Amino acid sequence: MAVTEVRPAAVAPGPSRRSWLLEWLTTTDHKRIGILYLINSFAFFFIGGVFALIMRLELARPGAKLISIHLYNEIFTLHGTLMIFLFIFPVLNGFGNFFVPLQIGALDMAFPRINALSFWLLPVGGLTILSGFVTKGGAAAFGWTNYVPVSLQGGTGEDLWTLGLLIVGVSSLLGAINFIVTILRMRAPGMTMLRIPIFVWAVLATSLLAVLAIPVFTSGLLMLFADHRLGTVFFNPAHGGNVLLWQNVFWFFGHPEVYMLILAAWGIVSEILPVFSGKPLFGYRGVVLAFLLITALSFTVWAHHMYATGAVELPFFSATTEMISIPTGVLFFNWLATIYKGKLRFEPPMLFALGFIAMFLIGGIDGVWTAAPAVDFALTDTYWVVSHIHYVLFGGTMFGVVAGVYYWFPKMFGRMLNRKLGIWHFWVQLVGFNLTFFPMHLLGVRGMPRRIAYYAPDRGWTFLNQLSTVGSWLIAVSMLIFLWNVLAAFRRPKDAPDDPWGANTLEWATTSPPPVHNFDHLPPVRSERPVRDLRLAAAAREGSS
Amino acid sequence: MAGWARRRLLLTAPFLILLSGCAAVPATQQGGDVHSLYRTIFLLAAPVVVIVEGFLLWMLWRYRRHTDEEPPQSFGTKRALVIFFLIPTVIVGVDYGFGEATLASVDRIDPNPQVVIRAEGFQWEWTFYYLNEGFFTTGKTLTQPAQMEIPVDEPVKILLHSRDVIHSFFVPSFLFKRDVIPGRTNQFTFTATRLGVYKGQCAEFCGLYHSRMTFYVHVVTASDYSAWVRRARNAALHVTCPSLGTHVRVTAKNTQWNTNCIAVAANQQIALSVSNQDPAIDHNFAVYDSSKRTKEFFQTGRFPGVATKDFAISPLPPGRYYFQCDVHGPAMSGVYVVTP
Repeated sequence: MAVTEVRPAAVAPGPSRRSWLLEWLTTTDHKRIGILYLINSFAFFFIGGVFALIMRLELARPGAKLISIHLYNEIFTLHGTLMIFLFIFPVLNGFGNFFVPLQIGALDMAFPRINALSFWLLPVGGLTILSGFVTKGGAAAFGWTNYVPVSLQGGTGEDLWTLGLLIVGVSSLLGAINFIVTILRMRAPGMTMLRIPIFVWAVLATSLLAVLAIPVFTSGLLMLFADHRLGTVFFNPAHGGNVLLWQNVFWFFGHPEVYMLILAAWGIVSEILPVFSGKPLFGYRGVVLAFLLITALSFTVWAHHMYATGAVELPFFSATTEMISIPTGVLFFNWLATIYKGKLRFEPPMLFALGFIAMFLIGGIDGVWTAAPAVDFALTDTYWVVSHIHYVLFGGTMFGVVAGVYYWFPKMFGRMLNRKLGIWHFWVQLVGFNLTFFPMHLLGVRGMPRRIAYYAPDRGWTFLNQLSTVGSWLIAVSMLIFLWNVLAAFRRPKDAPDDPWGANTLEWATTSPPPVHNFDHLPPVRSERPVRDLRLAAAAREGSS
Repeated sequence: MAGWARRRLLLTAPFLILLSGCAAVPATQQGGDVHSLYRTIFLLAAPVVVIVEGFLLWMLWRYRRHTDEEPPQSFGTKRALVIFFLIPTVIVGVDYGFGEATLASVDRIDPNPQVVIRAEGFQWEWTFYYLNEGFFTTGKTLTQPAQMEIPVDEPVKILLHSRDVIHSFFVPSFLFKRDVIPGRTNQFTFTATRLGVYKGQCAEFCGLYHSRMTFYVHVVTASDYSAWVRRARNAALHVTCPSLGTHVRVTAKNTQWNTNCIAVAANQQIALSVSNQDPAIDHNFAVYDSSKRTKEFFQTGRFPGVATKDFAISPLPPGRYYFQCDVHGPAMSGVYVVTP
């Protein structure tokens, strides 16, 4: 997505004659900030994606051939770090920034300047982490989980990783507070909490998680830095520190983080399915209840990442882990019931939303094996887990994110994305995704540990790794189709109507793209589907006249 | 659109078949329990996947757009919500019961193990101490993986110890791993049920050569095991080498000494030169009475490479002693022979 293609014509002409660049750099308009979030996120997605392709090339053959082991260790560390902290979470926040105020009928976010600050901290934090590559000893190379004490052996790159994540954490925290205040205080008349779009509920739940979890992580990062550079011994066992304290702190944040990475994608899918099924979301209140239960329960399951340490209360954490799959199951039932007896239109947003359901189901179900400690002893830290996290975060969140782009792109830029290219994109991504990540289940069952740059030819892992590498390049092709579709859209004149999909929520009641002040006329909100109410009223007027 | 649905089915079906058939064949009694739990969960999970994905595909075909009429606007009922909660609760409850039963059997510590091994991990090698037999085996980082030998059908107890960072003791065929954590001793017991050689590997990222921290477990018959114990003990006792007189130079490189035997003259001061060729890794050189280290005769300070330092060892009476690097332990050790 190119900044240069977005003409300032989208902005109300003001008295200022500042250049468009300065306009974008100093903007406090939630829509522009949302677009900046998306551009920044996809830029980091590109970097993280290139890292992934390099890893797949290295693993396509046994031995260590293409790159040095140290470089491999840096790359898998930064792939995880960038994808989680600088792509998935910010890209969802980008949608949140653009659409939460529109969906609740607000003028802007509650704190527009803080909103700009939360955005600009992101590239700063991301580049801080990446700058480790130009230091002596290189970037952080201990995995995105950065377990102590091995990570205390790192150099400057390790400190830059810590510092960068502190900055990103502040950004997320400010953003979350902004969302909570906006959603609670800025809703249009008639927009009660049980009429706000389900995506807004998802952003609210995400923000609650962020406000509760990120401070814990921040304090952990500060302790880590102090251990590394100031000689404290919170974690360092050589001087009486507790190694497992880091794991407890990290995962107490890290598991809610997983839900922060997917709740908003659930929200997007829960917006799209009703629109393209011609039905309301089945069990709106049930979905909200499930979101809130998951938010609460996600703080009780962290130690399931630590079963193999032999230092956690297994029956308790295994029980909470099994329990959290119950509200997740409820979500599935509601999605299926939404489609049931609907009138389905297979537009690209719908295809990706359906792909989300089909793939996230696999990612949810394969988690059931690792929820049982005895099976987890065999599978944890193997490629099974790599497969599981990618079925959740790629098969789940990424399909949801792409669905969101196809769904909301007309509203954001006033241009439709090409339907045919979108369908091609979907099928190539679906096949490439499964070819990349399904074989990893089998590699995990065959005992291939994660985070290894090297494996011997006699382990029987070569063929499955090759399948996975081929799949990764198919994903790359699908992303090129996606990029082409977006770039080509900007070469065409604006062609998107206000409401191209026959949708339900308020963002479709204004122009595409919306004016700076969002709404010329705010329609009355009398249900959770105000735009549908408008459509029906208009049809009724036409019928009677 | 029917073709669409069919293609989707073709994509998922082989996956499910693969998933059921590919678990490693377990080589221990505990691994067998884990394997049957794996299958039990499969029997619970596979129908869920098939039913949900199948229902989804059927709906996509059945409810594709036919008409312009608006479909029934169903908002959901309380009864549906209760059912939606109940179904996963029942499945998960059953699953939890099976899981806990297996966990109890896998985590049970056998009170009378036949063999007790202290497995020690460090960057990036393993050392296995046979606590009752009084010797150890180890490997050479990057070149020769450590070998563990155990008798079949006998309970074996493993005590896990780390010299530096977190590692994880993982043998895929045992369907088991347990983290090796500095400052904490984890333990578990298992009984191997099949003869063979099984590959093991560190499963917790532990730095640069994590991927090379492999080992082998040989499961042999009881008589082969006792013969191996005898051989291993004798080999440790009978290493010899020619005397170097009073000047000794040892080199540490890739976390190995250049020799496993140093012979020197008796009752004379020895000029020792220790060369550490491992950048940023600490080593030292120490002489003890035996690998049990009940008496220490000489010890240098630790220092990182690349560096060479000179020391003097006080005169010792003739006999067989033991040397090691205290940072890396028996994996960097040998016999120190003082010849008359």
